[in-house]
Amino acid sequence: MSQNAIVEDPVGAPSMPLLSATSITKAYAGVPALTGANLVVAPGEIHALMGENGAGKSTLIKILAGVVAPDGGTIAVNGETVTIGSTKAAYRLGLRFIHQEFNVVSTLSVAENIFMGRFYPRRAGLLVDWASLNREAQGALERLGIDHIKPSGNLGELSLGDQMLVRISAALLDDAKLYVLDEPTAALTRDESERLFRVLREIRASGSSVIYVSHRLDEIMALCDRATVLRDGRSIDSGAMANITHDDLVAMMIGRKVEEAYPKQLKPPRKALAFAASGLAGPGLGPVSFSVREGEVLGVAGLSGSGQGELIRALFGAARLTAGTMILGDLPYKPSSPAAAWQSGIAYVPRERRAEGLVMRRPIFENITLAHLKRQSRAGILLAPRRERRFAAELGANMRLKAVGPGQDVIELSGGNQQKVVLARAVAGNPRLLLLEEPTRGVDVGAKFDIYSIVRELTGKGTAVILVSSDLPELLGMSDRIAIMRQGEITGIVEAASIGEDDLINLCYGRSPGMVA
Amino acid sequence: MQLFIRRYGTLIGFVAILAFFSIMLPGTFPTARNWLNISQQVSMLMVVAAGMTIVMVMGDFDLSVGSAASLAGIVAALMMVAGQPVWAAVAVALVVGLLGGAFNGAMVSLVGILPFIATLATMTMFSGLAFVVSGGKTISGRAIPEEFGNFARSGLPLGEWGGVAISLPNLSIIAIVVVLAVWVMLEQTTFGRRLYAIGGNVEAAYLSGINVRRLRLIAFSLTGLAAAAGGLMYASRVASANPVQGSGLMLNAIAAVFLGTTMSRHGEPRILATAVGVLVLGVLDNGLTQMSVDSYIRQVLVGGLILVAVGAGSVGQARR
Repeated sequence: MSQNAIVEDPVGAPSMPLLSATSITKAYAGVPALTGANLVVAPGEIHALMGENGAGKSTLIKILAGVVAPDGGTIAVNGETVTIGSTKAAYRLGLRFIHQEFNVVSTLSVAENIFMGRFYPRRAGLLVDWASLNREAQGALERLGIDHIKPSGNLGELSLGDQMLVRISAALLDDAKLYVLDEPTAALTRDESERLFRVLREIRASGSSVIYVSHRLDEIMALCDRATVLRDGRSIDSGAMANITHDDLVAMMIGRKVEEAYPKQLKPPRKALAFAASGLAGPGLGPVSFSVREGEVLGVAGLSGSGQGELIRALFGAARLTAGTMILGDLPYKPSSPAAAWQSGIAYVPRERRAEGLVMRRPIFENITLAHLKRQSRAGILLAPRRERRFAAELGANMRLKAVGPGQDVIELSGGNQQKVVLARAVAGNPRLLLLEEPTRGVDVGAKFDIYSIVRELTGKGTAVILVSSDLPELLGMSDRIAIMRQGEITGIVEAASIGEDDLINLCYGRSPGMVA
Repeated sequence: MQLFIRRYGTLIGFVAILAFFSIMLPGTFPTARNWLNISQQVSMLMVVAAGMTIVMVMGDFDLSVGSAASLAGIVAALMMVAGQPVWAAVAVALVVGLLGGAFNGAMVSLVGILPFIATLATMTMFSGLAFVVSGGKTISGRAIPEEFGNFARSGLPLGEWGGVAISLPNLSIIAIVVVLAVWVMLEQTTFGRRLYAIGGNVEAAYLSGINVRRLRLIAFSLTGLAAAAGGLMYASRVASANPVQGSGLMLNAIAAVFLGTTMSRHGEPRILATAVGVLVLGVLDNGLTQMSVDSYIRQVLVGGLILVAVGAGSVGQARR
């Protein structure tokens, strides 16, 4: 064993690592995913696992979870070499996993979801004791400081963030040695995230450890003790957080220095209006009125569920409107379906790329041309796959899409590259108005920059953009103006350059800017 | 190895079945005459299964194809009994199938009923209609014009084989033409591409500007049309029509498509794979009949084979 076997714990005394994975390798059908990854987690620490999409984080976690078998390398838990052959084996070793895609049953109650796979408390050994099941679930939720979720309520009625909290409280139910959280805050609000961090710190204080995977560097800097960075399937570095700066981390992940997080605007917005809405109203929406100029990025901020989704769907013809008028260019615009919206020159990048954006088991080029088949075929009827591939390859090259070729199935791509496929479809027809919903969620730093650059390129050509995001720095960095939504209405529109992050949060909560959050 | 079995298991099985029958029945099985015979035996199923493939590409089902086939046969026979020309009878029967399919499509895409339930209901309705219009009787004999029955009995002469004149039956030609047409439609047109997108992720397809409702409606209509064609072919072959003669087609058509899905990369239906599935079922039926295997035993064997094929296709995939 190398010096990896002995690690410095936060206090400085050498101790036996809780988990050590050494020289792990794994290839899928000959394509290497891990080429020598090391990960050493000490007892009582929060350890960040970082890297771009496709760097091998997911594979490493799947190996620890017993879902995927490694090709080589050794794993030791508490100094003992182990083989994790199944998810059960991982569970018995005291490892708990909270994945990106939550596995919940939305038709069951919160309490039932928390106790899923465990023994329900019984009366007389037979009948489920619902009262004590709910009580114990309540206890599990309270550990996270959650008092607004009723254990007997239906899980499906909760917001995504609340569902995540339920999942997390389920994993925290029994005392385990190591919790692995994969992008837990992607769907959480700031308050929910803070609550989670408090619990993670408690776990650390109790002597258990956490492996924390996230693309949000600020979170990692604030929360984690040490970090391991993966790049191209191998671990680049691991070290104490205290000695690393934000910029160091970014440089380690992408292998080069990034000067700016957001590319500069190529041209200022034009005078001409690209789109205007007045008095739009529908279920959960409005009335709202606003306009976007050609080449302008209009950000939309707000707490989750404030009507942003309803607004975008209404603009895209996917939701019913009860009132209001829209103008696109100088013509009235009244989309009856997404098909009509595409035809009018409006493109859309939906919030959930897997559920709403991509046909996962089809090739890249088919996903890109799906909205452009009329032009990328012969007379709109006969397919022209070679033309489609060329078309897709050009778009892909422009946004630095990493893939074997345009014929590769989307499911094989990393998250950031999948997002680029969705974006490629949207920008392919040089849209007049581009609707972006959480365009960089779960996307690594390098791919984020690529995506922003494409948006800048489009606005330079006069495309108007409406950007809905819960990532405040992104909104501030990319928008010209930001509309604040609360309870389905736009409560104000501000110049992005005139405010900071704290002001924006205050506005989202309905407080005046400048207050201390 | 697992991957290999998953992908090519059904083809290997098919070859094994061919080898088995060729050894057991050297004089009668591997002959051109028998093969032409098989091609005719499977032609009706081939056409119906091709139609079934169209809706199954979208992840839907059509349980009503068997009753639609029976109804089409009955409608044509009744019109011929009433003295209408054969071409008119055939045309009306095809339109009935098309409209029946469009009705399925409307129930599924406009009303929003699950395909399984909607077509289960129309299966009963079409079957009931076939009984009502025919009075529950088989229509046969002199009432059916000779040319209608003769169509199935004749074919394209291919020359001589072992001193006997052989020909490619007309029904087989229709089956080949239908399979080719569906192949072009599903694999070479934007229509097919869109159907596969709907089958892969209906929400993504919708948000990409695909008119899901209209395509569903068209796809179900085409499946109904194919079912009617299959029913007409059957009626021509037996020169008669009765209200239940298409009833075996539905399960076999679905079985053939499923057998086919074991051969595609992601388990999606492909028309040429469906054709292999139909041939597997047809060859089994032909060979086992020649070996005088009891028809009930045959059912057990065919059912078992489907389980083995689809089971092998999911080797190592069941984790939960």
